[in-house]
Amino acid sequence: MVPAAAVAETFASLKAGLEARAAGRTAALSYAPVSSGFAELDRALAGGFIRGSIATLEGSPGSGRTAVLAGALAGATRAGFAAAIHDGTLYPPDLERAGVCLDRLLLVSAVSPLATARCADILLRSRAFGVVTLPAVNVRGTVWSRLGALAQKSDALLLALGGASTELGYFASTRVRCAIDRVLWSEGSGVLRELAGYEVCTQVFKHRRGAPGTVARLRIA
Amino acid sequence: MLLCIHVAAFRLAVARRSFPNDAGDHCILADKPDRGRVLEVDERAHALGARRGQTVLQACAAAGGARVLVHDAPHAHAVWEDMLDDLDALSPLVDDAAEGTAYVEMRGCDGMASDWIARAHDILAHFDLPVRAAVGPNKFAARAATYVRDGCICAPDEAAQLLAPLPLEALDVEPAIVERLHLLGIHSLGELARLPHGPFVRRFGARAVRWHEYARGIDPAPFRPRPYGLHIEAATFGEGSAAQEEQVYFALRVLAERVCGDLSRAGKAVALLRTAFECENGDMREVDAGFAQPTADPRTILDILRAKLEGLTFDAPITGLRLQALRLEECGTRTTLFANTQPDPQALAIALARLQAVGGAQAHQAHVRPAHLLESRYSTAPFCHGEVSSRGTERRSPELVEGEGTCSTQLRMLPVREVAVELRGNTPARVDARPVVNCAGPWRVDDSWFDDSPLCEQSGDPGSLTGAPVQAPARPPTAKPSGSPGHIVRDEYDVLLDDGMLCRIYRQGEQWYLRGAYD
Repeated sequence: MVPAAAVAETFASLKAGLEARAAGRTAALSYAPVSSGFAELDRALAGGFIRGSIATLEGSPGSGRTAVLAGALAGATRAGFAAAIHDGTLYPPDLERAGVCLDRLLLVSAVSPLATARCADILLRSRAFGVVTLPAVNVRGTVWSRLGALAQKSDALLLALGGASTELGYFASTRVRCAIDRVLWSEGSGVLRELAGYEVCTQVFKHRRGAPGTVARLRIA
Repeated sequence: MLLCIHVAAFRLAVARRSFPNDAGDHCILADKPDRGRVLEVDERAHALGARRGQTVLQACAAAGGARVLVHDAPHAHAVWEDMLDDLDALSPLVDDAAEGTAYVEMRGCDGMASDWIARAHDILAHFDLPVRAAVGPNKFAARAATYVRDGCICAPDEAAQLLAPLPLEALDVEPAIVERLHLLGIHSLGELARLPHGPFVRRFGARAVRWHEYARGIDPAPFRPRPYGLHIEAATFGEGSAAQEEQVYFALRVLAERVCGDLSRAGKAVALLRTAFECENGDMREVDAGFAQPTADPRTILDILRAKLEGLTFDAPITGLRLQALRLEECGTRTTLFANTQPDPQALAIALARLQAVGGAQAHQAHVRPAHLLESRYSTAPFCHGEVSSRGTERRSPELVEGEGTCSTQLRMLPVREVAVELRGNTPARVDARPVVNCAGPWRVDDSWFDDSPLCEQSGDPGSLTGAPVQAPARPPTAKPSGSPGHIVRDEYDVLLDDGMLCRIYRQGEQWYLRGAYD
């Protein structure tokens, strides 16, 4: 039996969505932040990533940032559509295991920084994607400024992955640094032993709406 | 059965309504008072020699003393729209053929044909126009029946018989065609219907097919119901007067919200908004506000109205306000009821097209499939959001709630490259001279375990491992032992290096390769 309150809430949200669309706005239905997919990180981010802004997941390759990204994509594809601009290294089976609905994820391969920025521009302009991820490419500050404005206009989250340049760091509303603390192995030895996961330490060192410096430890398994 | 409502020389009849006392004069309707062209003439002026298309001077010279009326197109159109609206009382299906001619679908309506005609006359009586009504089985027969007489009823099997005595002008063809037919001795529709179809069509062309069908009482033209006009407005009258600017703005805001509510419900946005003010002293003033981008946002509307009203002064307090959405445009997106997060398909299609246009960018969608090799466990296809449906929700585990994702280790598929691995006791001890801190494996992958027809034909060639499996040339489907040439046999390891890099390596043949890194 579905509770009456849940039904009322669903219909209220549907009505709000239809009204927003009828008014010609495709903005998000609420100002709720975008969940990172991890409760601990959401708490550190005061609810999640800020919608309509640029956020960065920083760290060296192998720092666990893709796992955090997968969590954010999982949350985004649960609620709507998401797009990932990548260099061809994302592994879809692992994304699906992380809860990403691949049917709702647009994968865009871009080879150059300029093409990456262009793709992000197009995707944000379409206002069809709640989250757009891209590598933290090295482009001019004006490009990040433009992408930030587009993200704000379309009420989407632009999530940049990788070491942020000075320009990106300036325009990003949220910056999270990732590092793998500990690698977890299963019991046993030889062929019975396998990678069980890792613990990622995430530190929020820039946040527009909250105090920086908060640390969250995420267990990826 | 169709009921045809026909007003002969509609524009002239509407113009004549302005001069009820001059009913006896013969009239000419022109587009301009001077140096204009004649649009319509009445019977008496026609008899005197005035014709459509003449200049006003020519027509006046021919029909001396004729009253020249000037055509008022918006007024005539408004009268016709009012007539059509009134005809809705007869039937919800009204076909607006042209100004002066309408068809009403009467199938399923109460009463007999004579009742329908009487009702139509009653409804349209207050327009004071020479309305003719007739019933027929199709559009042409119904309209032709109005030429026979007002109130004529043409049964389906009597159409040809009823039409037979009518002149060829009833076909509404060019006078030159009518003259050619007259020269051939054809003067009525009955005579035309008796002509053999093939030779007649060969002589007069493809259009003659329609004329011949009309003459036989056949009209295949479909009935096209007119769309209902959507009128959105909000007004407040008789609720006091406003002498202060703030009071007017408050009332405007209330009306704007009401209008926007209606717009939202209709899925429309307004491009032109008319605001009418009625003052205490009886003055009426209208202000039109156009929007470059159609909107249904009350705040935007109010901002524009404020700007428009800044330069206006009123001599007396305002007692009435009306907001009228004049130009409505489509707004909103096509969406399903239970998936309000679906993006606008058009916007998505445009984005995909633009992505294609960007050099080097490929937009696709991934699908996971069972396979032995890591790189074969997924495939990509062009993104098609129409197929999303509910698959995404079906796969979701029920315990999954917002903010609690099922996290998983993420492998990054790096370009395959050969690495130097030192072994200690059959386990990797160094990878590219970097010490291995921890290691798991090996796991043997052999694509010949479950398949007798090998897919891949290479061994030890890292270049061909990066993409989809290479189709092998035709070979006899004989089972080969594991590890034989032609099969991919790998031993895979997860290794943690001392610099913190956690990666997947494998041995294929005698070589070691780096497949990816966990991130």
